[in-house]
Amino acid sequence: MALAPPAAAPLAAPPHLPRRRLRVRGTSITLLKEVRERAQADLGFDVDYELMDFITCQRQAAMQPEGYDIYEQCFHNLDIVWFWGALQPIDTDRIADWNKITDLSKEGGISKYAWRGHGDAPVRKLYVQPGGFLGPKQGRYISMLPTVHNMDSFGFDTRVFGHGDVKRPSWAWLLDRRAKGRIALVDEPAIGFFDAALAAEAGAEVQFTDIGNMTIAEIDALMALLEDRRRQGYFCASWRTGEEAAQLLLDDRVSAQSMWSPVYGHLGKMAEVFVESAPVEGYRAWHGGASLSRHLGGAQLDMGYDYLNWWLDGYAGAVMARQGYYMSAPERTKAALAPEEWAYWYEGAPAARDLLGPSGDVVVKTGARRAGGTYQDRANRIALWNTVMEEYNYAARSWDRFIRRVNEGQK
Amino acid sequence: MTLRPSNPLAQEPRYELITQVLRSNIASGALPAGLVLLEGPIAALMQSSRIPVQAALRTLALEGLVHRFVGRGYLVGPPYQDIAPLRRDIAAFDLKIPQQVDDALQTRGTWKHFYDEVEEQVALCQVFGEFRIVETELADYLGVSRTVVRDVLSRLQERGLIAKNASSHWIAGPLTARTLREKFELRAILEPAALRLAGPYIHHSQIEAFRDRIGPDPTLKPEGLEAALMTYCIAKAPNTALVEMIQTNQMLLTSVNRALTGLGLPEDEIALDQYRTLFDLIVRHPIDSAAEYLRDHLQIMAAKNLARMKIVAVISETVGFAPYLAVQ
Repeated sequence: MALAPPAAAPLAAPPHLPRRRLRVRGTSITLLKEVRERAQADLGFDVDYELMDFITCQRQAAMQPEGYDIYEQCFHNLDIVWFWGALQPIDTDRIADWNKITDLSKEGGISKYAWRGHGDAPVRKLYVQPGGFLGPKQGRYISMLPTVHNMDSFGFDTRVFGHGDVKRPSWAWLLDRRAKGRIALVDEPAIGFFDAALAAEAGAEVQFTDIGNMTIAEIDALMALLEDRRRQGYFCASWRTGEEAAQLLLDDRVSAQSMWSPVYGHLGKMAEVFVESAPVEGYRAWHGGASLSRHLGGAQLDMGYDYLNWWLDGYAGAVMARQGYYMSAPERTKAALAPEEWAYWYEGAPAARDLLGPSGDVVVKTGARRAGGTYQDRANRIALWNTVMEEYNYAARSWDRFIRRVNEGQK
Repeated sequence: MTLRPSNPLAQEPRYELITQVLRSNIASGALPAGLVLLEGPIAALMQSSRIPVQAALRTLALEGLVHRFVGRGYLVGPPYQDIAPLRRDIAAFDLKIPQQVDDALQTRGTWKHFYDEVEEQVALCQVFGEFRIVETELADYLGVSRTVVRDVLSRLQERGLIAKNASSHWIAGPLTARTLREKFELRAILEPAALRLAGPYIHHSQIEAFRDRIGPDPTLKPEGLEAALMTYCIAKAPNTALVEMIQTNQMLLTSVNRALTGLGLPEDEIALDQYRTLFDLIVRHPIDSAAEYLRDHLQIMAAKNLARMKIVAVISETVGFAPYLAVQ
């Protein structure tokens, strides 16, 4: 994948020749300095990262596709960005390791018998169907190259809820009276909304016929419940980024909150009391990937494909693993990780030594075990995928109003 | 209590009057081929808002008297004749506005004058949630009496854009995926049936003319073809009640669609191909095959419209709502 030096400049690159450049727009899930630097070194062109929060990223990607070459986001928001016509199909014939991508990404479950989860499994947005739709019927062209994914849950304070061994953690804890005034939710409507929905249903407060595709009445019922809890003072904040989530914990403001995997590595002393749950109801899963902007063509498109192929090559997967994310092509990731790292992150084994995060600080202490066990165990217990439901516009606007009130602390 | 105006045109919708003026001035040559028609200057000349001018230009485009081009506005003359754009102020041309039309345009107080503008604003707001329409504010906004406002509101109600809630307030929205789905289900039942009935009454030459413009004429948009299908095919069904039901069912969809396109949502390229196939089936095959295809086409349109409802979620509410619309 190394680039041949320009033929016209055998000695040194002339100063007037601009470096080739690939612009990547995405979120903190994948836009890591360590990934970018290695990609630049391996690929021989500049890689610019433009990091945004989920909602801003999605809006900009949909409405300004000229502003980026590669879009790194989650499958569920293809419902928005793809239908704005912002992306172009990816030809899997140009993805060398396409056959190394696992069935969770390509088929919808890690095995034929695995429960698929409610909502939109990524496979339902993966393949380009006739008429420009996206669907699970396999074909040569895809909307997004599947890369990182994870099964999310909430985190809880063991001083309040115990260690989860006597009574197993339930999503209901996220709306539990014991954490009243010390609950925070992530503000993205396709994510935080479902954390709250899982909590409401687990606590038998609201019932959904299909939690992955709620009716207006069900959305209203959920929002009414949340508003009632808000008025009672259950929620202390909402957050948009992992840093904000970590800060809430470091300030000792929360006892239960939505969590993203990398945050657990940055809790300092709080890591002793605030832990990841493996909820009895199962996980809320998500799947990320990379897409090509509509405008890419010619040499720029070739660079886009080089970058996509590089993502499956191992290094990026190893960086992702160190923040708790799984990779769609695990074979090469395994080769790029130390055996102790692979054992902890993918196999649920106790950490044989202190493990470092992507930027080199210790994120896992010797002897620690990943909540929920092995990759197989976790992937088999997906309750729900992050989803943009049919009534998303309605739900998202109701959710935004709710979050605004939480943040303004209105009575 | 108001006096019935003696001018019979005073009851005509404003866009209809503007269409008449432009049509007759194009026919007489007062508006030469290639002249760029812009909404703003025409609105100023006719002392109207832009919305009825937009509607008038759309009607004339459907009639082939004007056409869209790569620049802003419309060009006078039929499409694909390579007419060079002529950019001059429309006020500089000797436009003939019949006295009666002019008087009618000046007449305030008839609800039809304001209807289109209000409909567009009310349709757009529904995408963002539930709104109450404050009658007094609407009267102030339009500069008319409560009587006229009530006429406008009852028309909006007939069209399914607003309804009264338990406390007798006029409520618009929220537009939901369920509403869209239901309307499209109804379309898929009614419209193929009407097309079957209309079969013997369709003028094939009109449909062929549209079919042949799909592709070569880049100005022909799916909305225009949908309107043509309605006007030249479905509305020919010899069952007035059925045709009215279809038209009423489409009204909310049409106004919302127009509002969303106005917000910059992408156009649907694939729909053009489907209309070509549909028009071809209408003129060359038994009408049953066209009716079956229309049902499939409507199912695809339903899926697209549902997808469109999701993507509007990224549009923030800073678009600004008319002052008579109060968020609930």
